[in-house]
Amino acid sequence: MNWNPHPLTLIGLAIVSTPMIAQAKIYASVEQAQKLLLPNKQLHQTPILITKNLQEKMRVASSIRHPFQGNRIWKASDGSWFVIDEVVGKHEMITYAVGLNPTGSITGIEILEYVESYGYEVAEAQWRNQFVGKNIDDPIKLNQDIQNIGGATLSCKHIADGVKRVAVLHELVLKHMKSK
Amino acid sequence: MRRCKPLLGTFVEITIQQEDAETSMNYAFSEIEKVQSLMSFHHPQSDLSKINRQAHLRPININIWTAQILNIAKDIHVHSGGLFNCGVGHRLITAGLLPNHLNINEHQFGGIEDLYFIDQETVSSMRPLCLDLGGIAKGFAVDMAVNTLIAGGVNSGAVNAGGDLRVFGNIPQIIYLRNPQAPSQLFEIGTLSNGAIATSGLYFSIRDKQKSHIVHPFKKTELDIDEHFLESYSILAKECVYADALTKVLALSRQQNHPCFAHYSAQAIRISR
Repeated sequence: MNWNPHPLTLIGLAIVSTPMIAQAKIYASVEQAQKLLLPNKQLHQTPILITKNLQEKMRVASSIRHPFQGNRIWKASDGSWFVIDEVVGKHEMITYAVGLNPTGSITGIEILEYVESYGYEVAEAQWRNQFVGKNIDDPIKLNQDIQNIGGATLSCKHIADGVKRVAVLHELVLKHMKSK
Repeated sequence: MRRCKPLLGTFVEITIQQEDAETSMNYAFSEIEKVQSLMSFHHPQSDLSKINRQAHLRPININIWTAQILNIAKDIHVHSGGLFNCGVGHRLITAGLLPNHLNINEHQFGGIEDLYFIDQETVSSMRPLCLDLGGIAKGFAVDMAVNTLIAGGVNSGAVNAGGDLRVFGNIPQIIYLRNPQAPSQLFEIGTLSNGAIATSGLYFSIRDKQKSHIVHPFKKTELDIDEHFLESYSILAKECVYADALTKVLALSRQQNHPCFAHYSAQAIRISR
């Protein structure tokens, strides 16, 4: 191990220096996540109309209030699915992809981007919208490349809840859709 | 390349310098999944669940990785004078942090000291156990992922399991720590190569209105059992499993010079503001 403390930490001054703010990390584009979760499969975008009734069932199953968007769903010819969803919490916004095999089992989950904020800004639509449509080739001009952030464990419970609603979507709708 | 998956109850991020090492990256994530399935408190078929159900009744055959982590846990238990003890699962159940599938009221539980090895991959216990490896498994998983990446020919990179991280390779990497008073703010604390850092802090638990997951093994009454602190306690060590486990010794002892740290060539950092 080779550890070089920041000179200021040695005399206790780092604590009073201005901290940086962790904000956005982009891990994968939609295309990259498709290749990772459903390799060698031809995918066709298959938007689904999310009725009020379905939205409510997904909310009950997951306790996530943020509405699910049905336009980010892809289907493979063998009946596998690829679904993009996001969780919008008080402290973060996370876009993730779920791969499902034809029987509906989760084959994998990949985080596409993780946006962390001061807390309240992330809840404001305008602040969030600056990230919409961005991808890995179009970096957001924030401190997105701060790597190696240590600290207390950050829970991924919101993702687990999100995956529950994707599973409900498969059970109620996707598995009943016939292959073309 | 950089990827992130939700595993071990947190976000596991792997960053490597090479762009063409997808197979090694996949393999590293699958090693973390393996640790998750062996050591999960939630899954009834994990090695850990088998030990908790039956180790006091009969010998239990376990995977070599589970044996390895239990050996490390027993070793740190001894060298920390008992401060690090994985036998606190029932207390985390009482706090609502773990599911209750053991009927905890029927048993008087022992600790990691009651667990003994019959051979390399078989354990038994003197008393019923309610072990939880949440305080050590993340670090172990990080190490297993790093070993795989190195074996796959990846020269340098980092594996970060929700704040417990290890960097490998000779390139010094800047390490940031969260400000316990405002966790989205970061302090640059130094550079590290070929080493690990892990942190215990309650700031996310407090923010998310969860009970404290840091439990003092010596205290027995319900009132003072869980620890409350606003600081963050970090440990630097060569391997992440030691960094992860020793943060609990630091958070409980609040002694940056606890003899246990020198024994494992570890260094303690406390951020107090």
